[in-house]
Amino acid sequence: MPGTTIVEDIELIIEDIGGGGGKLPPAGGDDGGDSDKRRGPQRPSSRRYATAIVIAIVSIVMFFMAMASAYIYLRAANSNRWVPLHLPWIIWVNTALLLLSSGAMEFARRRLARADVAQFRKLWAVATTLGVLFLTGQLLAWRQFVLAGFYVSSNQASSFFYIFTGLHGLHLFGGICALLYVSFRKFEKAKVSRAVAAEVASYYWHFMDGLWIFLLALLYLGK
Amino acid sequence: MVTYPSGGSAAPETPTPGFLARTIFNSGHKVIGLRYLWLALGSVLLGMFLSLLMRIHLVWPTAQIPFLSGFGGTPERYAAVTMLHGSLMVFLVLTTAPQAGFGNYFLPLEIGAREMAFPALNLFSFWATVASLAGMTAAFFVPPDAGLTLWTTSVALFCLAALLTALNFTVTTLDLRAKGMTLPRMPLTVWAWFINAILSILIFSILLAACVFLLSDRLLASQFFSPLTFLSQQPASLAQATLLSLWQRLFWFFAQAEVYVAMLPCFGIVSHLLSTFSRKPVWAERAAALALCAVGLCGFFVWGQHMFSSGLNPWSPLVFSLLASSLGLPACVLLLSWFGTLWNARIQLNTAMFFALGFVSLFLAGGVSGLSLARNDLAAVAVSDDFVTGHFHLVMGVAATFAILGALFFWFPKMFARRLNEALGKLHFWLTFAGVYCVFMPMHWLGLIAHARAARSGLAAVSVLGPSFGTPFDASPYTSLRTLVTAATILTIAAQALFVFNFVWTMWRGEKIKDPNPWRATTLEWTVSSPPAIDNFGATEPMVYRGAYEFSAQGGPEDFAAQNVAPAPPEPPLETRQAAKAGRGEN
Repeated sequence: MPGTTIVEDIELIIEDIGGGGGKLPPAGGDDGGDSDKRRGPQRPSSRRYATAIVIAIVSIVMFFMAMASAYIYLRAANSNRWVPLHLPWIIWVNTALLLLSSGAMEFARRRLARADVAQFRKLWAVATTLGVLFLTGQLLAWRQFVLAGFYVSSNQASSFFYIFTGLHGLHLFGGICALLYVSFRKFEKAKVSRAVAAEVASYYWHFMDGLWIFLLALLYLGK
Repeated sequence: MVTYPSGGSAAPETPTPGFLARTIFNSGHKVIGLRYLWLALGSVLLGMFLSLLMRIHLVWPTAQIPFLSGFGGTPERYAAVTMLHGSLMVFLVLTTAPQAGFGNYFLPLEIGAREMAFPALNLFSFWATVASLAGMTAAFFVPPDAGLTLWTTSVALFCLAALLTALNFTVTTLDLRAKGMTLPRMPLTVWAWFINAILSILIFSILLAACVFLLSDRLLASQFFSPLTFLSQQPASLAQATLLSLWQRLFWFFAQAEVYVAMLPCFGIVSHLLSTFSRKPVWAERAAALALCAVGLCGFFVWGQHMFSSGLNPWSPLVFSLLASSLGLPACVLLLSWFGTLWNARIQLNTAMFFALGFVSLFLAGGVSGLSLARNDLAAVAVSDDFVTGHFHLVMGVAATFAILGALFFWFPKMFARRLNEALGKLHFWLTFAGVYCVFMPMHWLGLIAHARAARSGLAAVSVLGPSFGTPFDASPYTSLRTLVTAATILTIAAQALFVFNFVWTMWRGEKIKDPNPWRATTLEWTVSSPPAIDNFGATEPMVYRGAYEFSAQGGPEDFAAQNVAPAPPEPPLETRQAAKAGRGEN
């Protein structure tokens, strides 16, 4: 297709962004070497993992947005018969744990950027442990909720409480698996470098963090 | 599942994989793409059989069908047949064949990649799709309550598989393109698969969420679709209508966009075929690509057009009506692009081209009735009876099937190194083309007649289930029209035997094609052997120098230039590119 100068310009830019031009992978690395590495598509470029996690996050956002919009819709439609929700206190402890976990992960990645693998491992383990504690705490919250007499079928508010915490927990469990992978994988043999794996896992982990805050805000404001 | 040795004898350094690795765990994109096509072929045959049952029952409700008399003639069983027909056709045929089938096979080939970005994930998606097909079909045979749970679980599984497939497509298109395959140089098929993947990522999550709600209600007794929800708010007359409002919203948010998920790859395929067999570039290619994006975007804003009669805020039908009508704009751009491509062209009328032209015709015919459904005032006349059935079967079901068949005739030589019989193919095309018009055009009329009757007898909102359920319609034009539709259905389905015969016979004895590029096409898949080697491009690294539709070339032995053919003066001008790069670096 014959292109005008502007179109050619755009093509050059797009080529640079996308088509094999070789954008910097998230982990770094210089342009020339990287584009050489990308020549063999059989060797997976690290970029695909970062792209995939971003797209997966978009998909998960849509999933929870559908649920959140259902919540807002039913909350508004039933405003006069909505049974208020008393969030168990342990929820707030859990939230703090999850935030700390995200923080620990960022410190761990800074260590890794300075090639301090030993410190990275320690901080990464802290982040993972905090994640596991969060999940345990969520189970305790369910226990508190049950003891208070609220079951899945009690009312719409409690149905939403269980489905939000349950599905977030399920997604977070996947995150914990990813963190354990980064901890225990021998990266000498792996297709990705430790930095890339840690980065991709951290995208997801921080997203889980933000998603939890959003869901909690929804439950708290809607009670 | 049948496996084809897609690799040929290439890739000498690869050790011969074991039996399981070659069959169940084979994650090669071509193998998986073909398997999706087999799955779709099986589903379409089963789905057609079910539609035959429905048509026969509507006209001869007392007819006893062998094998199936044991299923009982209750309205619930009829609804179950309809549900299975719809599930198979929409999920396993229209969603699967153009995107997961042809897409998996040809997306990596057309962008110059050797494999999808995540082959293992692709394999998982495929088997999840198989499991969901098995679940949906099994749901028909178990008692209704368990059947609905099983069906919902299967749909949820299908959503998961579709999401992972879409993830794979998106990442592959973004990150695995060959050198020089810039976005503007991508074939429109790739554009369509890519936009479709993004759309799928967004909408299948919604259906998954709706299914999770529904399963939670059924299994855990949660309260999401609680029947009491709306009764407190609404006047009693409206309560019935709004009972399922939340489910309707979630479902139609998905389902209206799902129509475009089925259609988008077909748009891409048809543009591709029309250009190749007109020997002309796609007219207004960029506008067509933008129209594909616009179709994807508009798909999100039209769910309310299915809910005009569900007690929405009185203003929202107007808004949705405008938004739904606005979908006509990108559709018109696509149509103009197709007609522009055909204009003054030396058209090669082979079977693939016939099916592509048939698609354009059906899309136009079905689209016109879509306009009256998009208008809230006119839709009151049309919704919930045969009119809407005729509309969406014409524009979505049959049109997409024509695109799939066109694609099959087009890519068959690449996939199997054989060519489907042209004479049989053309006969099959004409019989099917005439048949589907005789089936679905009278349905529009049936819908209007039924509505006029219902309005005259003061039953404005009654939906017409047909004579078998005691609706007192006995006048002759209605009945004879129905009989005509059923007769046409039987003939059209019988004509499909021609296709099945053509397919089986060609696989076994068909004309062999040695030439890797029998259609003189430009895209990368035609530059490799047929069928392509396991790693697609062998030792060579594909390089792309030009756009996807460089036909009507002057002054060479051929009238086209393949995408990997370097232009005579060495291009791209490296200085220009570096200068551009440096210029941007300063900013």
